[in-house]
Amino acid sequence: MSSSRLLVSGVGYDPAVGPQSTGPQVQQLATSTSSLKRQFSASGGAHSSIFDKNLHRAKHDISLSSLCYLFGEIVSWCDSKSRGVQQLESRLNNLGYSIGIKYLELTSLRENFASGNISSSSKSHATKREVRILEILQFINSSVWKGLFGKMADKLEKSQDLANQYMITDNLPLISKYISVPKEFQHLNCAAFVAGIVEGILDSAYFQANVSAHSFPEPGLPLKTVFVINFDDKVIKRESMRFER
Amino acid sequence: MSKSLKTLSDDLWKNRVEKVNSELFTLTYGSLVAQLCRDLNYNYAEVNAHLEKMGYNIGLRLVEEFFAQTNLGRCQTFRETAEVVAKVGFRMFLNVVPQVVGVDEKQFSLVLDENPLAEFVELPDDGKAFKELWYSNVLVGVLKGALEMVQLEVNAFFVSDVLRGDDTTELKVKLVQVLKDEIPVGED
Amino acid sequence: MSYYFAMIGTKDNPIYELEIGTYKQSGDGTPKFPTEMKELNPFIVHSALDIVEEVQWKNNQLYLKTIDSFYGYQVSAYVTPGNVKFMLLHDVKAEESIRQFFIEINDLYVKMLLSPFYNFNESIKSGSFDMRVRLLAKKYL
Repeated sequence: MSSSRLLVSGVGYDPAVGPQSTGPQVQQLATSTSSLKRQFSASGGAHSSIFDKNLHRAKHDISLSSLCYLFGEIVSWCDSKSRGVQQLESRLNNLGYSIGIKYLELTSLRENFASGNISSSSKSHATKREVRILEILQFINSSVWKGLFGKMADKLEKSQDLANQYMITDNLPLISKYISVPKEFQHLNCAAFVAGIVEGILDSAYFQANVSAHSFPEPGLPLKTVFVINFDDKVIKRESMRFER
Repeated sequence: MSKSLKTLSDDLWKNRVEKVNSELFTLTYGSLVAQLCRDLNYNYAEVNAHLEKMGYNIGLRLVEEFFAQTNLGRCQTFRETAEVVAKVGFRMFLNVVPQVVGVDEKQFSLVLDENPLAEFVELPDDGKAFKELWYSNVLVGVLKGALEMVQLEVNAFFVSDVLRGDDTTELKVKLVQVLKDEIPVGED
Repeated sequence: MSYYFAMIGTKDNPIYELEIGTYKQSGDGTPKFPTEMKELNPFIVHSALDIVEEVQWKNNQLYLKTIDSFYGYQVSAYVTPGNVKFMLLHDVKAEESIRQFFIEINDLYVKMLLSPFYNFNESIKSGSFDMRVRLLAKKYL
Protein backbone atom coordinates (compact mmCIF):
# COMPACT_ATOMS: atom_id res chain seq x y z
CA MET A 1 0.00 0.00 0.00
CA SER A 2 2.66 2.50 0.98
CA SER A 3 4.80 1.90 -2.09
CA SER A 4 1.87 2.53 -4.39
CA ARG A 5 1.09 5.66 -2.46
CA LEU A 6 4.59 6.91 -3.16
CA LEU A 7 3.94 6.45 -6.86
CA VAL A 8 0.68 8.35 -6.65
CA SER A 9 2.32 11.14 -4.70
CA GLY A 10 4.91 12.03 -7.28
CA VAL A 11 7.21 14.87 -6.54
CA GLY A 12 4.95 17.86 -6.08
CA TYR A 13 5.58 21.57 -6.65
CA ASP A 14 8.14 23.20 -4.39
CA PRO A 15 7.81 26.99 -4.40
CA ALA A 16 11.39 27.43 -3.20
CA VAL A 17 12.70 25.65 -6.24
CA GLY A 18 10.25 26.83 -8.86
CA PRO A 19 8.83 25.00 -11.85
CA GLN A 20 9.97 21.45 -12.30
CA SER A 21 10.63 20.14 -15.74
CA THR A 22 9.45 16.61 -16.36
CA GLY A 23 12.64 14.80 -15.36
CA PRO A 24 12.18 11.51 -13.51
CA GLN A 25 8.44 11.46 -14.03
CA VAL A 26 8.92 10.93 -17.79
CA GLN A 27 9.02 7.17 -17.52
CA GLN A 28 5.94 6.98 -15.38
CA LEU A 29 3.95 9.29 -17.61
CA ALA A 30 5.09 7.48 -20.72
CA THR A 31 3.01 4.48 -19.67
CA SER A 32 -0.61 4.70 -20.69
CA THR A 33 -2.98 6.77 -18.67
CA SER A 34 -5.20 3.78 -18.05
CA SER A 35 -2.52 1.77 -16.32
CA LEU A 36 -1.80 4.74 -14.11
CA LYS A 37 -5.48 4.98 -13.32
CA ARG A 38 -5.40 1.37 -12.26
CA GLN A 39 -2.55 2.14 -9.95
CA PHE A 40 -4.38 5.12 -8.53
CA SER A 41 -7.41 3.09 -7.65
CA ALA A 42 -5.40 0.13 -6.39
CA SER A 43 -3.71 2.26 -3.80
CA GLY A 44 -7.13 3.28 -2.55
CA GLY A 45 -5.35 5.89 -0.56
CA ALA A 46 -6.33 9.34 0.48
CA HIS A 47 -4.02 10.98 -1.99
CA SER A 48 -5.98 9.79 -4.99
CA SER A 49 -9.49 9.94 -3.67
CA ILE A 50 -10.36 13.62 -3.48
CA PHE A 51 -9.37 14.28 -7.08
CA ASP A 52 -11.34 11.27 -8.24
CA LYS A 53 -14.55 12.47 -6.71
CA ASN A 54 -17.10 14.19 -8.83
CA LEU A 55 -18.07 17.73 -7.88
CA HIS A 56 -21.29 17.58 -9.81
CA ARG A 57 -22.91 14.50 -8.37
CA ALA A 58 -26.28 14.42 -6.67
CA LYS A 59 -26.45 16.38 -3.47
CA HIS A 60 -26.44 14.66 -0.13
CA ASP A 61 -28.76 15.89 2.62
CA ILE A 62 -28.33 15.63 6.34
CA SER A 63 -30.60 16.65 9.16
CA LEU A 64 -30.70 20.33 10.01
CA SER A 65 -30.34 19.49 13.66
CA SER A 66 -26.92 17.91 13.06
CA LEU A 67 -25.73 21.18 11.61
CA CYS A 68 -27.22 23.07 14.53
CA TYR A 69 -25.68 20.83 17.17
CA LEU A 70 -22.30 21.18 15.51
CA PHE A 71 -22.71 24.90 15.24
CA GLY A 72 -23.75 25.16 18.87
CA GLU A 73 -20.54 23.48 19.93
CA ILE A 74 -18.51 25.73 17.68
CA VAL A 75 -20.07 28.80 19.23
CA SER A 76 -19.35 27.51 22.74
CA TRP A 77 -15.77 26.81 21.82
CA CYS A 78 -15.27 30.21 20.18
CA ASP A 79 -16.90 31.79 23.20
CA SER A 80 -14.45 30.06 25.51
CA LYS A 81 -11.58 31.59 23.59
CA SER A 82 -13.01 35.07 23.34
CA ARG A 83 -13.36 37.95 25.71
CA GLY A 84 -16.65 39.50 24.92
CA VAL A 85 -19.17 39.40 22.12
CA GLN A 86 -17.02 41.36 19.65
CA GLN A 87 -14.22 38.81 19.72
CA LEU A 88 -16.68 35.97 19.53
CA GLU A 89 -18.33 37.42 16.46
CA SER A 90 -14.97 38.08 14.93
CA ARG A 91 -13.96 34.43 15.41
CA LEU A 92 -17.18 33.22 13.90
CA ASN A 93 -16.74 35.64 11.03
CA ASN A 94 -13.26 34.20 10.37
CA LEU A 95 -14.56 30.65 10.33
CA GLY A 96 -17.20 31.66 7.82
CA TYR A 97 -14.75 33.65 5.73
CA SER A 98 -12.65 30.69 4.62
CA ILE A 99 -15.82 28.80 3.79
CA GLY A 100 -17.00 31.70 1.64
CA ILE A 101 -13.85 31.62 -0.46
CA LYS A 102 -14.24 27.94 -1.15
CA TYR A 103 -17.96 28.09 -1.69
CA LEU A 104 -17.70 30.82 -4.31
CA GLU A 105 -15.43 28.70 -6.48
CA LEU A 106 -17.50 25.56 -5.95
CA THR A 107 -20.87 27.13 -6.71
CA SER A 108 -19.57 29.02 -9.73
CA LEU A 109 -17.98 25.90 -11.12
CA ARG A 110 -21.20 23.99 -10.80
CA GLU A 111 -23.29 26.72 -12.35
CA ASN A 112 -20.98 27.22 -15.24
CA PHE A 113 -20.56 23.59 -16.09
CA ALA A 114 -23.98 22.30 -15.07
CA SER A 115 -24.89 21.64 -18.64
CA GLY A 116 -22.07 19.13 -18.95
CA ASN A 117 -19.72 20.70 -21.41
CA ILE A 118 -18.89 24.31 -21.49
CA SER A 119 -20.39 25.44 -24.74
CA SER A 120 -19.03 28.26 -26.77
CA SER A 121 -19.56 31.51 -24.95
CA SER A 122 -22.26 32.85 -27.23
CA LYS A 123 -24.54 29.89 -26.71
CA SER A 124 -24.29 29.50 -22.98
CA HIS A 125 -26.24 32.04 -21.02
CA ALA A 126 -24.71 31.15 -17.70
CA THR A 127 -22.49 34.01 -16.66
CA LYS A 128 -18.98 32.95 -16.01
CA ARG A 129 -17.63 35.47 -13.60
CA GLU A 130 -19.44 38.30 -11.92
CA VAL A 131 -18.01 41.70 -12.79
CA ARG A 132 -20.72 44.01 -11.50
CA ILE A 133 -21.86 44.68 -7.96
CA LEU A 134 -25.48 43.87 -8.61
CA GLU A 135 -24.53 40.62 -10.33
CA ILE A 136 -22.42 39.33 -7.47
CA LEU A 137 -25.10 40.32 -4.96
CA GLN A 138 -27.77 38.52 -6.93
CA PHE A 139 -25.50 35.53 -7.17
CA ILE A 140 -25.22 35.51 -3.38
CA ASN A 141 -28.92 36.15 -2.90
CA SER A 142 -29.95 33.25 -5.06
CA SER A 143 -27.29 30.66 -5.88
CA VAL A 144 -25.32 30.86 -2.67
CA TRP A 145 -28.27 31.07 -0.32
CA LYS A 146 -30.00 28.28 -2.16
CA GLY A 147 -26.93 26.07 -2.12
CA LEU A 148 -26.27 26.59 1.56
CA PHE A 149 -29.77 26.87 3.00
CA GLY A 150 -32.08 25.44 0.37
CA LYS A 151 -33.87 28.72 -0.19
CA MET A 152 -33.20 32.14 -1.62
CA ALA A 153 -32.59 35.12 0.63
CA ASP A 154 -35.68 37.21 1.12
CA LYS A 155 -34.62 40.67 0.06
CA LEU A 156 -31.78 42.52 -1.62
CA GLU A 157 -31.74 46.28 -1.27
CA LYS A 158 -29.50 49.22 -1.87
CA SER A 159 -29.22 51.74 0.91
CA GLN A 160 -30.86 55.09 0.32
CA ASP A 161 -28.30 56.94 2.41
CA LEU A 162 -24.93 55.43 1.60
CA ALA A 163 -23.67 54.83 -1.94
CA ASN A 164 -21.57 51.86 -0.96
CA GLN A 165 -24.12 50.06 1.22
CA TYR A 166 -26.41 47.18 0.34
CA MET A 167 -28.54 44.89 2.48
CA ILE A 168 -29.51 41.24 2.19
CA THR A 169 -32.37 40.14 4.40
CA ASP A 170 -33.11 36.65 5.61
CA ASN A 171 -36.39 36.36 7.47
CA LEU A 172 -35.60 33.00 8.99
CA PRO A 173 -31.91 32.12 9.03
CA LEU A 174 -31.76 28.36 9.04
CA ILE A 175 -29.09 27.82 11.64
CA SER A 176 -30.69 30.23 14.09
CA LYS A 177 -33.78 28.08 14.32
CA TYR A 178 -32.47 25.49 16.71
CA ILE A 179 -29.36 26.92 18.16
CA SER A 180 -28.98 26.44 21.88
CA VAL A 181 -26.68 29.16 23.13
CA PRO A 182 -27.52 32.02 25.53
CA LYS A 183 -30.69 33.57 24.22
CA GLU A 184 -29.45 37.14 24.00
CA PHE A 185 -26.72 36.23 21.57
CA GLN A 186 -28.17 33.45 19.55
CA HIS A 187 -29.23 35.23 16.40
CA LEU A 188 -26.17 37.39 16.21
CA ASN A 189 -23.80 34.47 16.58
CA CYS A 190 -25.15 32.41 13.75
CA ALA A 191 -25.47 35.47 11.62
CA ALA A 192 -21.87 36.54 12.24
CA PHE A 193 -20.83 33.22 10.79
CA VAL A 194 -22.98 33.70 7.70
CA ALA A 195 -21.76 37.29 7.39
CA GLY A 196 -18.25 35.84 7.30
CA ILE A 197 -19.23 33.54 4.46
CA VAL A 198 -20.63 36.47 2.48
CA GLU A 199 -17.55 38.54 3.19
CA GLY A 200 -15.28 35.71 2.04
CA ILE A 201 -17.20 35.45 -1.21
CA LEU A 202 -17.13 39.17 -1.89
CA ASP A 203 -13.47 39.64 -1.02
CA SER A 204 -12.32 36.75 -3.15
CA ALA A 205 -14.38 37.94 -6.11
CA TYR A 206 -12.57 41.28 -5.79
CA PHE A 207 -15.62 43.09 -4.42
CA GLN A 208 -13.94 43.88 -1.14
CA ALA A 209 -16.46 44.67 1.56
CA ASN A 210 -17.27 44.57 5.22
CA VAL A 211 -20.28 42.49 6.08
CA SER A 212 -22.06 42.59 9.40
CA ALA A 213 -25.25 40.99 10.63
CA HIS A 214 -28.03 42.73 12.50
CA SER A 215 -31.13 41.42 14.14
CA PHE A 216 -34.36 43.16 13.14
CA PRO A 217 -37.14 41.15 14.75
CA GLU A 218 -40.65 42.06 13.83
CA PRO A 219 -44.04 40.54 14.61
CA GLY A 220 -44.19 37.17 12.92
CA LEU A 221 -40.50 37.27 12.05
CA PRO A 222 -38.66 37.11 15.34
CA LEU A 223 -35.43 35.90 13.76
CA LYS A 224 -35.28 38.31 10.86
CA THR A 225 -31.67 39.19 10.13
CA VAL A 226 -30.23 41.84 7.84
CA PHE A 227 -26.72 41.48 6.45
CA VAL A 228 -25.29 44.91 5.84
CA ILE A 229 -22.64 45.07 3.14
CA ASN A 230 -20.33 48.04 2.94
CA PHE A 231 -18.20 47.97 -0.17
CA ASP A 232 -14.73 49.49 -0.21
CA ASP A 233 -14.47 52.82 -2.01
CA LYS A 234 -12.25 51.41 -4.71
CA VAL A 235 -14.92 48.90 -5.66
CA ILE A 236 -17.50 51.63 -6.06
CA LYS A 237 -15.03 53.71 -8.06
CA ARG A 238 -14.23 50.82 -10.36
CA GLU A 239 -17.90 50.14 -10.92
CA SER A 240 -18.70 53.72 -11.80
CA MET A 241 -15.66 54.07 -14.06
CA ARG A 242 -16.41 50.96 -16.00
CA PHE A 243 -20.14 50.71 -16.07
CA GLU A 244 -21.71 54.07 -15.69
CA ARG A 245 -22.03 56.38 -18.61
CA MET B 1 -36.33 -6.55 13.26
CA SER B 2 -33.91 -5.09 10.75
CA LYS B 3 -36.66 -4.49 8.25
CA SER B 4 -38.82 -2.62 10.68
CA LEU B 5 -35.88 -0.46 11.69
CA LYS B 6 -35.27 0.34 8.07
CA THR B 7 -38.92 1.23 7.53
CA LEU B 8 -38.88 3.37 10.61
CA SER B 9 -35.79 5.25 9.58
CA ASP B 10 -37.00 5.70 6.00
CA ASP B 11 -40.23 7.12 7.26
CA LEU B 12 -38.45 9.36 9.72
CA TRP B 13 -36.13 10.64 7.08
CA LYS B 14 -38.90 11.32 4.63
CA ASN B 15 -41.44 12.86 6.92
CA ARG B 16 -40.06 14.04 10.18
CA VAL B 17 -36.53 15.25 9.72
CA GLU B 18 -35.87 18.75 8.53
CA LYS B 19 -33.12 18.48 5.98
CA VAL B 20 -30.30 20.68 4.78
CA ASN B 21 -27.62 20.26 2.17
CA SER B 22 -24.65 18.51 3.74
CA GLU B 23 -22.09 20.79 2.15
CA LEU B 24 -22.42 23.57 4.67
CA PHE B 25 -22.04 20.91 7.36
CA THR B 26 -18.95 19.44 5.72
CA LEU B 27 -17.34 22.82 5.18
CA THR B 28 -18.19 24.00 8.69
CA TYR B 29 -16.75 20.87 10.29
CA GLY B 30 -13.65 21.23 8.12
CA SER B 31 -13.23 24.83 9.14
CA LEU B 32 -13.51 23.75 12.77
CA VAL B 33 -10.91 20.98 12.52
CA ALA B 34 -8.47 23.20 10.64
CA GLN B 35 -8.87 25.97 13.21
CA LEU B 36 -8.43 23.53 16.09
CA CYS B 37 -5.22 22.26 14.51
CA ARG B 38 -3.90 25.79 14.25
CA ASP B 39 -4.99 26.76 17.77
CA LEU B 40 -3.50 23.61 19.28
CA ASN B 41 -0.27 23.87 17.29
CA TYR B 42 -0.92 20.73 15.33
CA ASN B 43 -0.82 18.60 18.43
CA TYR B 44 -3.10 15.99 16.94
CA ALA B 45 -3.62 14.09 20.16
CA GLU B 46 -5.12 17.23 21.65
CA VAL B 47 -7.17 17.90 18.55
CA ASN B 48 -8.60 14.38 18.76
CA ALA B 49 -9.43 14.94 22.43
CA HIS B 50 -11.12 18.27 21.71
CA LEU B 51 -13.19 16.81 18.92
CA GLU B 52 -14.25 13.98 21.19
CA LYS B 53 -15.27 16.38 23.93
CA MET B 54 -17.37 18.43 21.53
CA GLY B 55 -18.95 15.27 20.21
CA TYR B 56 -19.72 14.16 23.74
CA ASN B 57 -21.67 17.36 24.43
CA ILE B 58 -23.54 16.90 21.19
CA GLY B 59 -24.31 13.28 22.01
CA LEU B 60 -25.87 14.20 25.34
CA ARG B 61 -28.33 16.55 23.66
CA LEU B 62 -28.99 14.63 20.48
CA VAL B 63 -30.42 11.64 22.35
CA GLU B 64 -33.42 13.67 23.44
CA GLU B 65 -34.34 14.44 19.88
CA PHE B 66 -33.74 10.83 18.95
CA PHE B 67 -36.23 9.50 21.45
CA ALA B 68 -38.72 12.24 20.74
CA GLN B 69 -38.73 11.40 17.05
CA THR B 70 -38.51 7.64 17.16
CA ASN B 71 -40.51 6.48 20.17
CA LEU B 72 -38.32 3.42 20.34
CA GLY B 73 -38.25 1.46 23.55
CA ARG B 74 -35.26 0.15 25.41
CA CYS B 75 -32.86 -2.05 23.54
CA GLN B 76 -32.72 -5.49 25.10
CA THR B 77 -29.27 -6.44 23.92
CA PHE B 78 -26.10 -4.68 22.91
CA ARG B 79 -26.60 -6.12 19.44
CA GLU B 80 -29.90 -4.32 19.22
CA THR B 81 -28.19 -1.15 20.30
CA ALA B 82 -25.73 -1.54 17.46
CA GLU B 83 -28.52 -1.99 14.96
CA VAL B 84 -30.49 0.97 16.20
CA VAL B 85 -27.45 3.23 16.26
CA ALA B 86 -26.51 2.34 12.72
CA LYS B 87 -29.89 2.04 11.02
CA VAL B 88 -31.82 4.73 12.84
CA GLY B 89 -29.37 7.02 14.60
CA PHE B 90 -26.89 7.54 11.80
CA ARG B 91 -29.67 7.61 9.23
CA MET B 92 -31.63 10.21 11.08
CA PHE B 93 -28.78 12.61 11.66
CA LEU B 94 -26.29 12.00 8.91
CA ASN B 95 -28.38 10.20 6.31
CA VAL B 96 -25.87 7.38 6.06
CA VAL B 97 -26.22 3.81 7.26
CA PRO B 98 -22.91 2.30 8.36
CA GLN B 99 -22.48 -1.43 8.22
CA VAL B 100 -22.50 -3.20 11.57
CA VAL B 101 -19.74 -5.76 11.83
CA GLY B 102 -18.05 -7.75 14.51
CA VAL B 103 -21.06 -7.72 16.81
CA ASP B 104 -21.28 -9.50 20.10
CA GLU B 105 -22.61 -8.64 23.51
CA LYS B 106 -19.60 -6.55 24.37
CA GLN B 107 -18.72 -4.70 21.19
CA PHE B 108 -19.51 -3.82 17.64
CA SER B 109 -17.90 -1.96 14.80
CA LEU B 110 -19.42 0.53 12.41
CA VAL B 111 -17.99 0.69 8.92
CA LEU B 112 -18.80 3.92 7.17
CA ASP B 113 -18.92 3.70 3.39
CA GLU B 114 -19.83 7.33 3.23
CA ASN B 115 -18.76 9.98 5.68
CA PRO B 116 -20.35 13.40 5.23
CA LEU B 117 -17.86 14.91 7.65
CA ALA B 118 -14.90 14.08 5.46
CA GLU B 119 -15.95 14.90 1.92
CA PHE B 120 -13.10 16.35 -0.15
CA VAL B 121 -10.71 16.30 2.77
CA GLU B 122 -7.02 15.67 2.26
CA LEU B 123 -4.97 15.42 5.42
CA PRO B 124 -1.94 17.71 5.65
CA ASP B 125 1.28 16.27 4.38
CA ASP B 126 3.30 16.93 7.51
CA GLY B 127 4.19 13.31 8.21
CA LYS B 128 2.20 13.34 11.45
CA ALA B 129 -1.43 13.77 10.47
CA PHE B 130 -1.66 10.43 8.73
CA LYS B 131 -0.58 8.64 11.86
CA GLU B 132 -2.09 10.77 14.59
CA LEU B 133 -5.20 12.65 13.53
CA TRP B 134 -8.62 11.04 13.59
CA TYR B 135 -10.42 13.61 11.49
CA SER B 136 -13.94 12.47 12.33
CA ASN B 137 -13.28 12.00 16.02
CA VAL B 138 -16.36 14.04 16.90
CA LEU B 139 -18.36 10.88 16.10
CA VAL B 140 -16.53 9.03 18.85
CA GLY B 141 -17.71 11.62 21.35
CA VAL B 142 -21.26 11.62 20.04
CA LEU B 143 -21.54 7.87 20.51
CA LYS B 144 -20.11 7.99 23.99
CA GLY B 145 -22.38 10.81 25.07
CA ALA B 146 -25.49 9.43 23.49
CA LEU B 147 -25.00 5.91 24.84
CA GLU B 148 -24.23 7.24 28.29
CA MET B 149 -27.66 8.81 28.32
CA VAL B 150 -29.13 5.34 27.91
CA GLN B 151 -27.09 3.96 30.74
CA LEU B 152 -24.37 2.39 28.63
CA GLU B 153 -20.81 3.37 29.34
CA VAL B 154 -18.76 2.63 26.27
CA ASN B 155 -15.33 3.13 24.84
CA ALA B 156 -15.41 4.25 21.25
CA PHE B 157 -12.49 4.80 18.93
CA PHE B 158 -11.53 4.79 15.30
CA VAL B 159 -9.71 1.76 14.05
CA SER B 160 -9.13 2.92 10.50
CA ASP B 161 -9.94 5.87 8.27
CA VAL B 162 -9.85 6.20 4.48
CA LEU B 163 -8.38 9.67 4.95
CA ARG B 164 -5.31 7.97 6.32
CA GLY B 165 -5.04 5.71 3.34
CA ASP B 166 -6.82 2.76 4.94
CA ASP B 167 -9.32 0.71 3.00
CA THR B 168 -12.25 1.51 5.23
CA THR B 169 -13.41 3.88 7.91
CA GLU B 170 -14.16 1.81 10.98
CA LEU B 171 -15.36 2.91 14.39
CA LYS B 172 -15.25 0.41 17.21
CA VAL B 173 -17.57 0.58 20.20
CA LYS B 174 -16.83 -1.47 23.32
CA LEU B 175 -19.15 -1.81 26.25
CA VAL B 176 -17.49 -0.96 29.55
CA GLN B 177 -20.44 -1.35 31.84
CA VAL B 178 -24.15 -0.90 32.13
CA LEU B 179 -24.72 2.05 34.41
CA LYS B 180 -27.06 1.82 37.34
CA ASP B 181 -30.63 2.66 36.46
CA GLU B 182 -31.30 5.97 38.07
CA ILE B 183 -34.22 7.11 35.99
CA PRO B 184 -35.47 4.79 33.30
CA VAL B 185 -35.08 6.48 29.95
CA GLY B 186 -38.31 7.32 28.23
CA GLU B 187 -40.42 7.14 31.33
CA ASP B 188 -41.16 9.99 33.65
CA MET C 1 6.42 22.69 -28.29
CA SER C 2 7.03 23.73 -24.74
CA TYR C 3 4.78 25.10 -22.09
CA TYR C 4 5.19 27.03 -18.89
CA PHE C 5 2.10 26.85 -16.74
CA ALA C 6 1.55 28.93 -13.64
CA MET C 7 -1.34 29.37 -11.23
CA ILE C 8 -1.23 32.80 -9.64
CA GLY C 9 -3.04 33.75 -6.45
CA THR C 10 -4.65 37.04 -5.58
CA LYS C 11 -1.44 38.53 -4.25
CA ASP C 12 0.37 37.95 -7.54
CA ASN C 13 2.00 34.96 -5.88
CA PRO C 14 2.53 31.77 -7.87
CA ILE C 15 0.77 28.90 -6.13
CA TYR C 16 1.83 26.33 -8.67
CA GLU C 17 4.26 26.21 -11.56
CA LEU C 18 5.09 23.63 -14.16
CA GLU C 19 7.31 23.44 -17.20
CA ILE C 20 6.40 20.73 -19.58
CA GLY C 21 6.91 19.74 -23.17
CA THR C 22 4.41 18.18 -25.47
CA TYR C 23 3.83 14.46 -25.78
CA LYS C 24 2.30 14.84 -29.20
CA GLN C 25 4.28 13.97 -32.32
CA SER C 26 6.41 11.58 -30.30
CA GLY C 27 7.53 14.23 -27.89
CA ASP C 28 8.65 12.87 -24.55
CA GLY C 29 7.30 15.63 -22.37
CA THR C 30 10.60 17.38 -21.82
CA PRO C 31 10.30 21.11 -22.24
CA LYS C 32 12.74 22.65 -24.65
CA PHE C 33 12.99 26.22 -23.54
CA PRO C 34 16.29 27.87 -24.35
CA THR C 35 18.09 28.84 -21.13
CA GLU C 36 17.38 32.55 -21.54
CA MET C 37 13.70 31.84 -21.90
CA LYS C 38 13.65 29.58 -18.88
CA GLU C 39 14.76 32.43 -16.69
CA LEU C 40 12.38 34.87 -18.29
CA ASN C 41 9.24 32.74 -18.21
CA PRO C 42 8.04 33.78 -14.75
CA PHE C 43 8.68 37.44 -15.57
CA ILE C 44 6.80 37.29 -18.84
CA VAL C 45 3.86 35.74 -17.12
CA HIS C 46 4.07 38.22 -14.30
CA SER C 47 3.94 41.22 -16.56
CA ALA C 48 1.04 39.67 -18.42
CA LEU C 49 -0.87 39.77 -15.14
CA ASP C 50 -1.40 43.49 -15.53
CA ILE C 51 -3.14 42.87 -18.81
CA VAL C 52 -5.27 40.19 -17.22
CA GLU C 53 -6.42 42.57 -14.55
CA GLU C 54 -7.49 45.06 -17.19
CA VAL C 55 -9.21 42.57 -19.42
CA GLN C 56 -11.05 40.71 -16.67
CA TRP C 57 -13.37 43.61 -15.97
CA LYS C 58 -14.31 44.04 -19.61
CA ASN C 59 -14.83 40.37 -20.28
CA ASN C 60 -16.88 38.18 -17.97
CA GLN C 61 -15.65 34.92 -19.47
CA LEU C 62 -13.38 32.67 -17.51
CA TYR C 63 -11.16 31.87 -20.48
CA LEU C 64 -9.54 35.05 -21.72
CA LYS C 65 -7.63 33.38 -24.54
CA THR C 66 -4.34 34.87 -25.65
CA ILE C 67 -3.74 38.16 -23.96
CA ASP C 68 -0.08 38.85 -24.59
CA SER C 69 2.84 37.74 -26.71
CA PHE C 70 6.59 37.86 -26.44
CA TYR C 71 8.96 37.01 -29.25
CA GLY C 72 6.86 34.22 -30.70
CA TYR C 73 5.61 32.97 -27.38
CA GLN C 74 2.04 33.61 -26.40
CA VAL C 75 0.46 33.99 -23.02
CA SER C 76 -3.04 32.63 -22.54
CA ALA C 77 -5.03 33.27 -19.43
CA TYR C 78 -8.03 31.95 -17.50
CA VAL C 79 -9.44 33.62 -14.40
CA THR C 80 -11.55 31.74 -11.89
CA PRO C 81 -14.49 33.41 -10.13
CA GLY C 82 -12.28 33.64 -7.05
CA ASN C 83 -9.63 35.45 -9.06
CA VAL C 84 -6.99 32.79 -9.25
CA LYS C 85 -5.26 33.13 -12.58
CA PHE C 86 -4.13 30.24 -14.71
CA MET C 87 -1.43 31.42 -17.10
CA LEU C 88 0.08 29.42 -19.90
CA LEU C 89 3.13 30.46 -21.88
CA HIS C 90 3.18 28.58 -25.16
CA ASP C 91 4.70 28.72 -28.57
CA VAL C 92 1.91 27.16 -30.61
CA LYS C 93 -1.58 28.36 -31.16
CA ALA C 94 -4.10 25.85 -29.74
CA GLU C 95 -7.00 27.82 -28.37
CA GLU C 96 -9.51 25.02 -27.95
CA SER C 97 -7.27 22.46 -26.31
CA ILE C 98 -5.83 25.09 -24.00
CA ARG C 99 -9.37 25.99 -23.02
CA GLN C 100 -10.15 22.35 -22.20
CA PHE C 101 -6.93 22.13 -20.24
CA PHE C 102 -7.82 25.18 -18.17
CA ILE C 103 -11.33 23.91 -17.49
CA GLU C 104 -9.99 20.65 -16.12
CA ILE C 105 -7.41 22.49 -14.05
CA ASN C 106 -10.25 24.56 -12.62
CA ASP C 107 -12.01 21.37 -11.54
CA LEU C 108 -8.79 20.08 -9.98
CA TYR C 109 -8.18 23.38 -8.23
CA VAL C 110 -11.64 23.51 -6.68
CA LYS C 111 -11.20 20.01 -5.29
CA MET C 112 -7.89 21.08 -3.75
CA LEU C 113 -9.45 24.24 -2.39
CA LEU C 114 -12.28 22.35 -0.70
CA SER C 115 -9.93 20.54 1.63
CA PRO C 116 -10.02 22.30 4.99
CA PHE C 117 -6.27 21.99 5.34
CA TYR C 118 -5.56 23.93 2.19
CA ASN C 119 -5.61 27.66 2.74
CA PHE C 120 -6.41 30.04 -0.04
CA ASN C 121 -3.34 31.54 -1.78
CA GLU C 122 -1.11 28.82 -0.39
CA SER C 123 1.33 27.00 -2.69
CA ILE C 124 -0.03 23.70 -3.84
CA LYS C 125 2.68 21.24 -2.96
CA SER C 126 0.59 18.09 -3.14
CA GLY C 127 2.24 15.35 -5.14
CA SER C 128 -1.02 13.96 -6.42
CA PHE C 129 -2.10 17.38 -7.64
CA ASP C 130 1.15 17.72 -9.51
CA MET C 131 0.70 14.29 -11.04
CA ARG C 132 -2.81 15.11 -12.18
CA VAL C 133 -1.72 18.37 -13.78
CA ARG C 134 0.99 16.56 -15.67
CA LEU C 135 -1.53 14.01 -16.89
CA LEU C 136 -3.80 16.79 -18.06
CA ALA C 137 -0.93 18.47 -19.83
CA LYS C 138 -0.15 15.22 -21.53
CA LYS C 139 -3.75 14.91 -22.61
CA TYR C 140 -4.35 18.38 -23.94
CA LEU C 141 -1.11 20.14 -24.69
